[in-house]
Amino acid sequence: MDILVGSVFAGLLIGMILALVALGLTIIFGVMDIVNFAHGEFLMIGMYTGLLTAQGLGIDPLFTLPVAAAVGFLLGVICYFGFIKFLLRGPMVAQLLGTFGLMLFLRNLALLIFGSEDRAVHSGILVGKSFDVGMGIIVPATKLAAAGLSVAAFLGVWLLMNRTKVGKALTATALNAQGARYMGIPTERMNALAWGVGGASVTIAGALLVNFWSVNPFIGLLFTMIAFAIVALGGFGSIPGAFFAGLVVGIITEIPGFWDFFSYTFDAEWMMNVPMTSFKYMWVYVAYFVIVVLRPRGLFGWKQ
Amino acid sequence: MKKFAKTWMFVFGALAVMGLMAPTGATAVEEIKIGVIYPLTGGAAAAGRELRAGAELAAEIANNVMPDLPMTMARNSGVKSLGGAKIKLIFKDHEGNPTIGADQAKKLILDDKVDGILGCYFSSVTKTVSAVCEQYGIPMINGSSTSPSLTQRGFKWFWRTTPHDKWFTKDLFELLVGLTEGKVKGVAAVPKEEIMNLASACEKTEWGSHVSGLIQDFAREYGFNLKKSLLYAAKSADLSSEVRSLKASRADVMLFASYTSDAILMVKTLHAQKARPKIIWGQDAGFEKPEFRETLGDSINGILTRTVFLPKVVEIKKLAGQVNALYKKQTGNDLGGASARAFTGLQTWVAVLEKAGSTKPDAIQAAANSLYIPGKELVVPWQGIKFSTSGDELGQNVLGSGLIGQYQKGKDGNIGLEIVYPFDVSSADMIFPFAGF
Repeated sequence: MDILVGSVFAGLLIGMILALVALGLTIIFGVMDIVNFAHGEFLMIGMYTGLLTAQGLGIDPLFTLPVAAAVGFLLGVICYFGFIKFLLRGPMVAQLLGTFGLMLFLRNLALLIFGSEDRAVHSGILVGKSFDVGMGIIVPATKLAAAGLSVAAFLGVWLLMNRTKVGKALTATALNAQGARYMGIPTERMNALAWGVGGASVTIAGALLVNFWSVNPFIGLLFTMIAFAIVALGGFGSIPGAFFAGLVVGIITEIPGFWDFFSYTFDAEWMMNVPMTSFKYMWVYVAYFVIVVLRPRGLFGWKQ
Repeated sequence: MKKFAKTWMFVFGALAVMGLMAPTGATAVEEIKIGVIYPLTGGAAAAGRELRAGAELAAEIANNVMPDLPMTMARNSGVKSLGGAKIKLIFKDHEGNPTIGADQAKKLILDDKVDGILGCYFSSVTKTVSAVCEQYGIPMINGSSTSPSLTQRGFKWFWRTTPHDKWFTKDLFELLVGLTEGKVKGVAAVPKEEIMNLASACEKTEWGSHVSGLIQDFAREYGFNLKKSLLYAAKSADLSSEVRSLKASRADVMLFASYTSDAILMVKTLHAQKARPKIIWGQDAGFEKPEFRETLGDSINGILTRTVFLPKVVEIKKLAGQVNALYKKQTGNDLGGASARAFTGLQTWVAVLEKAGSTKPDAIQAAANSLYIPGKELVVPWQGIKFSTSGDELGQNVLGSGLIGQYQKGKDGNIGLEIVYPFDVSSADMIFPFAGF
């Protein structure tokens, strides 16, 4: 039983962080209808920012979040004005291939600067500590802190989008860019803001992740894929959708744990011999496939 | 131009070989040329320097009389049965590249006319170089490549002194059996039920998946219950679901084959998940790297890893201590896994030549196949050297063995590796069970 409870809890915890990873993608898509293939690379940059700031300044990785947010915001805005703005003039294919190119560029740039080896944070106030809550739930302190901060960041973005004038302007741009322009909303700046907020939220997620995941220049693709699955599940452009879908995907990545639970409960030898952990991400893509086939606009989607 | 020169060299080489084929009378040999191919530049250059120094020291001992050392080659000046002929080493650099290695082997055989080859550290390079040697019928002795497949090709001109991964995995099971029989220093006999359940997690490239298969085979053979056997990508950024799965199996013994960063991540995650198996064992590689110790610090106290040579051997084996002193005088460093095995590789060459009494390949082949060097003449902690001449492991030394070391916190507060297996050379009481993180 404790295997089951432990897995559910671990899935929810990682799900909260994955939701934040997907948030940036859904904002950018919601506002501009652009699918950012370089999203995972933004995360990778966030991870390196957290790692290097922590090591360079000798501070705990948790305190590097403001730096990561600033880097992510700037990165998003620079990408928008330096690159994406021009892509918008082209056809849809150009936008897809354009962000794909951005992904390759950022990845290889990271490879050039940081080298291909894995790097990880090995010290910090929370690193390596964990609480045994009982019932098989063991909570690594870094994951708990990351999940908590992730929820806070989510709430912040949600408030920004729903309770402020800027958020309303963003939503208006998302709904009808031309109409918004007639109403005097500077849509160009709104687009840049979407990229900035999207970039900042994903680099924050990166700086949180680096507390317990190692980073290398190739890590981005995995997260791009996961973020796509979350966004598809939650609905393109939906912020609460991204949160709930994040939790669902978090639980899905723990399927090997459930499998273990059932194989020990039934004492089924053939089940124990299935290498489920090797396929842990496969189920995420299966879910992605199913949702795209059955309900293309996702659980909370509103964009057609 | 370079290509031109190469072609000419090849032509000359070929002519020279033809010249050799012409019947000549038996002449006294003055020096014996051994071609030595190691990674002297590139990523493994540090290991290459060690290997070279180890082989050079062995040649020096063979060429001079050093009566203090209790080994055959130290008693004679040169190879006695060949009229005191000196050993001459010709070093070549393979840069970690199998193609360059094969080229160097051809040059050594055709241009330098070496009597035999020693090398090449990298299993991949040893593979191509030994194929060249097989083609030309030139004997090759390999001292430090551990891919099991090298001696499974039925080569007639290839001998390997070092034990390989199959032996190392077997050692682990011998240790487990030893635990149940009370053979381990400082540990009373453990009931088998207490260490009955095993779980393994190995990285999924050729090396790790091979080790995983070996663990499955040996678990069956030795009657242990392998509850879980995982493969994972060494580049994984997160191993928490793997670790939870290992934990869920309630295994008493956890076995790993990991490279450096994943070994560190694995132990960190075990730590965070509060896993408490009674034994944690790593198959060398990541578990033996300095980074592993430096990054994880005191938390690795009690973790086991297999290895081939530890500085502790020097304290237990007198000969190893004497050779280590000579080595240290020349290089400033202690003998390590690479240098000790390179030393042993060349020592084997000298013993083979001594026994053959000739530099003719056929005589060397016959001598190698019937060679026996007792363990007391070796710096490495093996029972000796004796090559398999039949079966599916042609040319493999059957008397080699690995070491299993355990990280223990010494009196000086530093974490170091102590020998716990083989039992007769153990340097400290084993920590059992693993105390947890």
